[in-house]
Amino acid sequence: MSSSNTVCALATPPGISGLAVIRLSGEESFSIADKCFRGKVLLSEAPSHTIHYGKIYDGDVLLDTVTASIFRAPHSYTGENIVEIGCHGGLYTTSNIISTLLNNGAQIAKPGEFTQRAFLNGKLDLTQVEAVADIIHASSVQGSHVAARQLLGGFKNKVDSIRKELLSICALLELELDFSHEDIEFVDKNHLTTLIGNSINTCKNILDSYTSSSILRDGYRVGLVGYPNAGKSTLFNALLDKKRSIVSPIAGTTRDYIEDSLSLNGIWIQIYDTAGIRQDSMDIIEIEGIEFTRQLLETSNLILIVNDISISPLHSVSLYKQLSLLYPEAAFCYIQNKIDSVSQSLVSISDIDSLPVSSLQSIGIKELKIFIEKLASANVDRISDVLLNTRHTAILSEIIKSLENANCSLNIHFSNEYVSLDVRKAIYLLGEITGEVMNEEILNTIFSQFCIGK
Amino acid sequence: MNTFDVIVIGGGHAGIEASVASAKMGCKTALFSMNIHTIGRLSCNPSIGGSAKGHLAKEIDALGGVMGILADKSGLQFKTLNTSKGPAIWSSRSQNDKDLYPLFAQELLLSTKNLSVVNSNIREILIDKDSIKGVITENGETVFSKCVVLCSGTFLNGVLYTGMNGIAGGRIDEQSSTSISRNLLSYGFKTGRLKTGTPPRIDRNSINFSMLSEVGGDVVPKPFSFRTSTVRNTLTCHQTTTTEKTHNILRKGFSESPMFSGLIAGKGPRYCPSIEDKIERFSDKNSHQILLEREGLTTDSVYVNGFSTSLPRAIQEEGLHSIVGLEKCEILKYGYAVEYDYFFPNQLKSSLETKAIQGLFFAGQINGTSGYEEAASQGLIAGINAALTVKDMPAFTLSRAEAYIGVMIDDLINKESEEPYRIFTSLAEYRLLLRQDNAYKRLSKYGFNFGLIDNNQYEVLQHKENLTGQLISFAQESKASPATINEYLTDIGESKLAETTSLSIIAKRQKVSLKELFSIVNTHDSFPATNELFEKAEIEIKYEGYIKRQLEEVEMFQQTESKLIPKNLDYSSIKSLSAEAREKLIKISPVSLGQASRIAGVSSTDLAVLMLYIR
Repeated sequence: MSSSNTVCALATPPGISGLAVIRLSGEESFSIADKCFRGKVLLSEAPSHTIHYGKIYDGDVLLDTVTASIFRAPHSYTGENIVEIGCHGGLYTTSNIISTLLNNGAQIAKPGEFTQRAFLNGKLDLTQVEAVADIIHASSVQGSHVAARQLLGGFKNKVDSIRKELLSICALLELELDFSHEDIEFVDKNHLTTLIGNSINTCKNILDSYTSSSILRDGYRVGLVGYPNAGKSTLFNALLDKKRSIVSPIAGTTRDYIEDSLSLNGIWIQIYDTAGIRQDSMDIIEIEGIEFTRQLLETSNLILIVNDISISPLHSVSLYKQLSLLYPEAAFCYIQNKIDSVSQSLVSISDIDSLPVSSLQSIGIKELKIFIEKLASANVDRISDVLLNTRHTAILSEIIKSLENANCSLNIHFSNEYVSLDVRKAIYLLGEITGEVMNEEILNTIFSQFCIGK
Repeated sequence: MNTFDVIVIGGGHAGIEASVASAKMGCKTALFSMNIHTIGRLSCNPSIGGSAKGHLAKEIDALGGVMGILADKSGLQFKTLNTSKGPAIWSSRSQNDKDLYPLFAQELLLSTKNLSVVNSNIREILIDKDSIKGVITENGETVFSKCVVLCSGTFLNGVLYTGMNGIAGGRIDEQSSTSISRNLLSYGFKTGRLKTGTPPRIDRNSINFSMLSEVGGDVVPKPFSFRTSTVRNTLTCHQTTTTEKTHNILRKGFSESPMFSGLIAGKGPRYCPSIEDKIERFSDKNSHQILLEREGLTTDSVYVNGFSTSLPRAIQEEGLHSIVGLEKCEILKYGYAVEYDYFFPNQLKSSLETKAIQGLFFAGQINGTSGYEEAASQGLIAGINAALTVKDMPAFTLSRAEAYIGVMIDDLINKESEEPYRIFTSLAEYRLLLRQDNAYKRLSKYGFNFGLIDNNQYEVLQHKENLTGQLISFAQESKASPATINEYLTDIGESKLAETTSLSIIAKRQKVSLKELFSIVNTHDSFPATNELFEKAEIEIKYEGYIKRQLEEVEMFQQTESKLIPKNLDYSSIKSLSAEAREKLIKISPVSLGQASRIAGVSSTDLAVLMLYIR
């Protein structure tokens, strides 16, 4: 790869849209754009951070009326000269403009190439690069906020401070070794165990926020479970305020599962309607057998057990109890559905959160939404600056393992060089997160997350 | 005598190894020394080895070098240091007879086949375009050679200081050599200044030993070299400390200390600081340790280790007299500082051949290192590579994962040091694998291949390795029941066994000795192993988990080492490199991405740029 090429690509999602942006980056951006852009001024003479109205021509053929935004190196996203062409959306127009740019000397950008250039030109460090990928993928308003904070280096600071702490521990261990013939003890081993323990805890806290950050990235996952005909699909529709599941009174209508999402106060909620669990096959093994349902429940943050109160308020309690044992990570709620069809007063069931709902009459739906939102935001609140991706979590788990090894060496009174082995490893791994350590695997992992145009 | 394959200049520890290795590899070799009688001098402290330095000495021996043999022959006391730490840190050190060491060295050189020792200064190194032609002696005689190994130590533009008086000279009473420096500067070599110091030597008869504690050698002294059968302890050292009074006396002379006042521009060593440096830097410590090392059995001269100084003579004397036991000591030789030229070692390849001149090698203090062991190991590598060059064979280099020697040379050529380079265990990332006990396992194959270790010797080494392997398997297969072993475990403070367990698993416990285990379960008789073998096997067993983890790291290390950078890569065309990285990469032209990652000034971003660029 040579960064001397000028590359271009569509920077907005492809497809029909009102507007689209085509980005052109590289030394020759202005001169290439000038070959097809006709406006009041030459773009190569336009000052940085200005927008120009004009027309894009392929030779003499007018392609579109556009605006061209000028960013001069190094004050641009990539650190190179950039022209962003705002044109009309649609596959036809955008691909015509791009092929004109290509004919005039630009090359098509590879996935992630703009960001890669930003990285190569020192505009972003590695955690910031990853944050860009995360913003692209972030599915909630809050998610993109956290990713944006990470873009400004918040995560890096956190990791840096652990790294600094470990470096100073390492320095003490080494100092003692270098002067070991003088038998001087620089470090109190108990104190060292505590210090390393602190770093382990910090890493664990960051790792804990992974659950929360995956909520931001992928949404808060709510699964609906119940016996056939308990009204899961009607509840699903009521929550989404639309008709989506095929609703019928015949038991077993919903096959596999159906999913949809809604936004509650900026948090993305992903709802799954599962196939009903037949009462006659009310064997947990059987539930496990339903592959989709099982996968879904495993990844659910909240499982709603939908009970048909008209049969009995306690009808689904054993289902509730068995599932809550099986999926201890998830939150549970017992939904007393079809409350409109019974006259009896509500019975509260000990140890179980329950809510009365009538999906059909839209009774209690608002309360249920508030309940879900509360749980979801409680999870999200645990995140401050850290948005982890899978690469980070894998490394953090390895760091924790190394530090635990180090503390184990301390406990069995092994000498400094054995403790140091694992502390050094942890320092190295932290460097893999911050970008202080570089290897090809890291590069590949990071840049492979990108789509074209970013 | 006008033509040689290899010419070695300088008869210090680097020169000795370089010339013997080259000669033994079948090259007609000449060693030029300005004074044959100073060859192999222990010009500073009378000891070989020490923390990490002992590792170097062992590695030299494993490669077939001679330092270990000379140290054993002239050794008066042998000690393993750092035994309170794990086996990777254990280091051998010997106290040596300062008169005998050079005599044995000279005897060895004079009896080495293919090697001529010539008593002459070298005025000039002859270079034609960019390759070696030979040398011109001080008499104007031209001597031709294919390679020259320059091991001139501190003799290049050396200036000695005691107080504010500077005199030209490499070491005390010897002349310094300035013309070679000028000669090489004209070929574009860049030099810097470094400084180092030595302590005074005092008369043994004037020391009051009754006040001092003795420091002896190991109960069972071990030789450096596998070629030495036994060694004995015949000398005791003594220990004392400086006092607050000493420090006050010395402070009076600070303004007149050339090293301290800045008269000497060169950077001094951080780890072997002068006493004035120590007083200034650790001002809260009101005493520093002093070790009195007798310099030989036939001399009364005692080396005052820990009291390196260049203060005026009167102050040195007054200071020494304030130390317990030294109240009436007589000074035989005053401490002095020496400032000298060194060549920036980033001008070298990892074979120690200069990048600019084909066939020219640098080894030892000339590369900015301090210490006999550091010099000798470079001399050995340079000597081997000079011989390989003559034979037109590929260069020999050691990696950081293979030897301390590899760590040192890699550091020298890639990193920048402003003070004399001294080896430390902390410099070796893979130190759990680079132990003294496995030096032969790691390196003797090379020594054997080069002909520096003969067939018989190699067989002995191989046999030991095989026995160690067998001992380990034996320990894995033999089991001990709780009934037989629990009493021993309780005695040493380890918890009891619940069920019959293999010896290798029991031996993983910190306080368990493999040898003891064998004797308890009575397998000792069926496996006649020496203490040395038990020790080697026990280390492999006890630290197996750590060794495994370290091996995984080595694997990762080797991956980046094997990512080669094209030889003619035009760094100046890679715009996204930082200016500093570009300059360093052009200067050093690393072989691999791994090497590039260790160059001072090349950041991880620069490295990412390189990776993306050479894909």
